[in-house]
Amino acid sequence: MTPGTTAEPATRSELPPRPRTWPRRTLIVSALAAFTVATCLPAIGGVEIDLGAIAQNWRRGAANLSALLQPNWAFVPRTVQPMLETLQMAFVGAAIAAALSVPLTLWAARPTNPHTPSRLAVRAVINVIRAVPDLVWATILVAMVGVGALPGLLTLVLFDVGIVVKLVSEAIDSADHPYLEAARAGGATQHQMNRGLALPQNLPLFANQWLYALELNVRISAILGIVGAGGIGRLLDERFGFFAYGDVSVIILEILVVVLIIEAASHLLRRRLA
Amino acid sequence: MSDTLESRTRTTTASPAVVLPPRPSRLVQTVATAVVGLVLLVSVTTLDVEWAALRDLPAAVGEYGVLMFADPDWSRLPRALFEMWRSISMAWLGALLCVVVSIPLGMLAADGVGPTWLRFTLRGVFAVIRAVPEVIIALVLLTVTGLTPFTGALALGIAGIGTQGKWTYETIETLRDGAADAVRAAGGGRTAVVRWALWPAALPALLSFALYRFEINIRMSAVLGIVGAGGIGSMLANYTNYRAWDTVGMLLIVVVVTTMAVDAVSGALRRRIMEGP
Repeated sequence: MTPGTTAEPATRSELPPRPRTWPRRTLIVSALAAFTVATCLPAIGGVEIDLGAIAQNWRRGAANLSALLQPNWAFVPRTVQPMLETLQMAFVGAAIAAALSVPLTLWAARPTNPHTPSRLAVRAVINVIRAVPDLVWATILVAMVGVGALPGLLTLVLFDVGIVVKLVSEAIDSADHPYLEAARAGGATQHQMNRGLALPQNLPLFANQWLYALELNVRISAILGIVGAGGIGRLLDERFGFFAYGDVSVIILEILVVVLIIEAASHLLRRRLA
Repeated sequence: MSDTLESRTRTTTASPAVVLPPRPSRLVQTVATAVVGLVLLVSVTTLDVEWAALRDLPAAVGEYGVLMFADPDWSRLPRALFEMWRSISMAWLGALLCVVVSIPLGMLAADGVGPTWLRFTLRGVFAVIRAVPEVIIALVLLTVTGLTPFTGALALGIAGIGTQGKWTYETIETLRDGAADAVRAAGGGRTAVVRWALWPAALPALLSFALYRFEINIRMSAVLGIVGAGGIGSMLANYTNYRAWDTVGMLLIVVVVTTMAVDAVSGALRRRIMEGP
């Protein structure tokens, strides 16, 4: 390169040329637009955007909405038992999941399980479990083991195990492990390392996610009854079926209050753990 | 080696009587453990579950597993893909709506952007929407608007605002103040600060959250289908009711493969957005 070519831009302006971003930007925007258009084509399964139907339904909808805004407080006593069942399911589900999540997590993280095939196998199972939505699990489990709290409980356990194992094992994977390395250098077996170091070290992480799972459980178990898996959701579904919107709004308000209380309690506990 | 070890043990055995602090009280932990254990025990015993049924569970899982996956009924695959695309569409449009609404609202709710009264109102609204399970928000909306995929998308959009708004204002609040201060020092008003300092800095995170919302909605749209909004969830609920297990197996495979594929693509995009090429 001659000195003249390097000096030339400097004489014109101090600024480097603007990077050419518009071709890429146009490409990305048009791809997103094309995808969005494709999601609006009913012929291939897309969503038919029909604001007219909503306008038509609006009068009936407004009546329903005003009924929802008038809670039927006399209904409260009948909600106590199902609400308790919901809370019990949430709690027991979280406890069982907590017990199951410890070995599975240590199995799914690289520093605690150097054996690749078994680690990948556990991860694959967890990923498949997580890919099936909660209510889909509940629907299938209800068909398999019958209506009641048991399929709901199983759904919660599966869901919690999926979340806790994924989050904690990824946290273990991405952290540095000086103590584990020291123990390995000192000749500890993998079991000794996991039992004596990895587990106590990561227990706060676990506890955090267990509480989070409990929070999620209260929310999910409130709706599991819709497909017959026990709890307050069954009552909610029944009242919806009877168009008893006053009762429905009582149930929704109760769920709201319970979720807020559980979240506040769990928030306090987590602050103490941190 | 053995010599140093010995001397060390000697010093540690000699000193404890003098220097060891008293053992910390474990009373709180013990009581907490006992209470949790007791509540758990009561919950387990009073929960209306036939625990004996668990004994048959492995056999049942095996039996239904064979029914579902030994010979899945692929003849209904075209229909399943059609319904799956409907669910994806619901999820996408819902995510779009959610993001378009929650970004401005979330920005207004951020510290230092909106006026105080608006900030607290918006945060309250977000908190209430977050606390109600999404399916219930959807159910309420569906009583107002009727059950169609479009209203399903609307429900997803509104149900997500609570969390998405929270993520938005938290993102804005964790930004460094430097750029905003610079714009203010140059005489920029509130709009200029948002446009030239906050928006460019927050954009990658906001885009990443938008994609994440799409991933969440993919699962939620199947759930809404079970409630009756259409899409793969409705098909799955129907065939489960008919106990057509070979079709249910096929549908589950479609759901799992699609969800994992969307997660993988969206996750890769998110990493690229956050970390650059």
